[in-house]
Amino acid sequence: MRTPRRTTALLGIAAAVLLATTACSGGLLGGEAEDDGEAASGPIKIGMVIPISGSSAPTGEYMENGAQLAVNEINDAGGILDGRMLELLVEDEACDAQQGVASANKLVSSEVVVSVGGYCSGATLPQLPIFGGVNIPMIIPAANSQDLVREGLKNVFLINGTGLQQSTAALDFVKKSGYATVALVDDNTSYSADITTETEKQITEDGTAEVVLNTSVNAGESDYSAVVRDITGSGAEIVYWTGYYQEGGLIIDQLRQAGYTGDIMVADGSADATLAEIAGDAAEGVFATMTPTPDTLEGAEEWIADYETEFGAAPGPYSTQSYDAVRLAAEAIENAGSTDGEEIIAALEAISGFDMFSGPLEFTEEHTLSNGGFVILKMEGGTFVLEDSLS
Amino acid sequence: MSQIIWDGLFVGSFYALIALGYSMVYGIIKLLNFAHGDLYMLGAFIGFAVLASFGGLATSLGLFALIIVMMLSMVITGTVGVVIERLAYRPLRGAPRLAVLITAVGASFTLEYGIAAIAGPNPRGFPIRLTGDVFVVLGARVTLPQIVLMIIAGLLMIALDTYIRRTSTGRAMRAISLDMKGSLLMGVNVNAVISRTFFIGSALAGAAGVMAGAYYGKIDFLMGFIIGLKAFTAAVIGGIGNIRGAMLGGLVLGLIEAFGSELVGGQWRDAFAFAVLILFLTLRPTGILGERVTERV
Repeated sequence: MRTPRRTTALLGIAAAVLLATTACSGGLLGGEAEDDGEAASGPIKIGMVIPISGSSAPTGEYMENGAQLAVNEINDAGGILDGRMLELLVEDEACDAQQGVASANKLVSSEVVVSVGGYCSGATLPQLPIFGGVNIPMIIPAANSQDLVREGLKNVFLINGTGLQQSTAALDFVKKSGYATVALVDDNTSYSADITTETEKQITEDGTAEVVLNTSVNAGESDYSAVVRDITGSGAEIVYWTGYYQEGGLIIDQLRQAGYTGDIMVADGSADATLAEIAGDAAEGVFATMTPTPDTLEGAEEWIADYETEFGAAPGPYSTQSYDAVRLAAEAIENAGSTDGEEIIAALEAISGFDMFSGPLEFTEEHTLSNGGFVILKMEGGTFVLEDSLS
Repeated sequence: MSQIIWDGLFVGSFYALIALGYSMVYGIIKLLNFAHGDLYMLGAFIGFAVLASFGGLATSLGLFALIIVMMLSMVITGTVGVVIERLAYRPLRGAPRLAVLITAVGASFTLEYGIAAIAGPNPRGFPIRLTGDVFVVLGARVTLPQIVLMIIAGLLMIALDTYIRRTSTGRAMRAISLDMKGSLLMGVNVNAVISRTFFIGSALAGAAGVMAGAYYGKIDFLMGFIIGLKAFTAAVIGGIGNIRGAMLGGLVLGLIEAFGSELVGGQWRDAFAFAVLILFLTLRPTGILGERVTERV
């Protein structure tokens, strides 16, 4: 037993020595030149923490591609700050708080200037102090829990509509369509519970409709017969599911199998074509509160074509927001004339009328969009199409 | 009321199928095979791969194709179970129980992230969906697929029970679970019997995986995690190591969950199920059908 252990130890030492020498020589050779050089002419690093693994991975890919498209366009046009290139560094959050924190730390130590990631609110929330501690502005393209802006952190900017704005859209649709009873179901995540709480508050204050059920399910299960019984028993005319599409698809399918005949509406986390793949025919006619996706946006054909040539696949949810996040970051750095966090934040706050997919950008006091831009989509033939622009 | 009972029994029959493998393996080598839930996941993915490669042909055949695919998937998951035992558990048979337990957790992660790497982390829609007529029985809505799946589960369980009680291999399994060294001395080929136990247990989990895929319509690489824990709970409730106990435990757990979530709300379902596990472990660690076995010196 001894020999192998000693060999391992020796190997370990050898490896450590080797590593140390290479690290040293790198430092000696590149040292000073790099310090100045990188600050003035090296690529400007933009970090992005998004789900690359786990159940939300498909959206992560849409986001990464959207961001990369913007980076490519900006670099092709000669970069920013007198010809410096942008470099996108992507790290995985896996929709998990711990993974999100680890990835954010990694990006901070690779000296990113701006963060343009953030999909799952639960995983994004713990990243705020990490980027905030070193004054790195975060332009969050997708995550939209009210919790993200509750503390009023200076470096946090949301360019997706918030849970509050989404709830308002849900209420508008409920009133417009004349539903009298509403059931709200969330999956207990920060993002999802945020929308149901807010929607219940708004519906109750408004008084036209009544919330007959507000309940939660555990994500990651297959059998949702309990909540299905609750919903059918509550007599709700419309169910509003605010979790992600995996469970959403199952719940919709099981609701229809259980003979539920009311309408179903889902929030933006479920507004994905995979919903139809999981729920099958049951997904037909499902409504969604969603910020416009590329294929429901007017005048985005050219952009979609660019995206398809670049990545060989159609864009999906949050491709546009991620694309805009990078463009916005570049604009702010350019306006600030520097890569200093404080100055970029000031430049972001000062931005007015910057052209984005969601309309001209203007940040509110709390760094959210002045106009959330939520619309109502409807599932027809396996894809979501625009039903009502709520304007 | 009848709806709650039916829902509980239906979910319970899945738990029972998976709990069987847990219980068999524990009964025979006193190992909690944490990779067992992932064999259920593997079964679903194999079913998915086979169906996807046959394309439209399989989907048009419906239930018949599903049964063929299920059998194929059972053979493959069974084999994987045997391989895992051979590679990961057998070399550690003399090692402390804790070491094997950790190895089982390792095997579980290997399967999960191996599948995630091969098939991708995205959830997939299952190519065949079981849909069918709805009957109303005593006020409960019962669908045809539910009945078919419960019949399949029931047949598999009866077959297993007969196998263990009536065949010589079954007798060998029971002998090993009583006294492994003794059986070895009596000329039982212990390794072969243990391999066979793993094959059967894993195949049942694989069958449950295909059934779940076809019924619920969604599979993903982490789908075996929670249900694996639930099946473990079911095995403990029924009396771990006891085959009929595992079947009973599965159904009981399904019912407990259904009534529990009706009582305190759906989001409490898992909390409720595992609270029951703790209760059983403290009040009756041998489970409903388990019997206290006198320790041999």
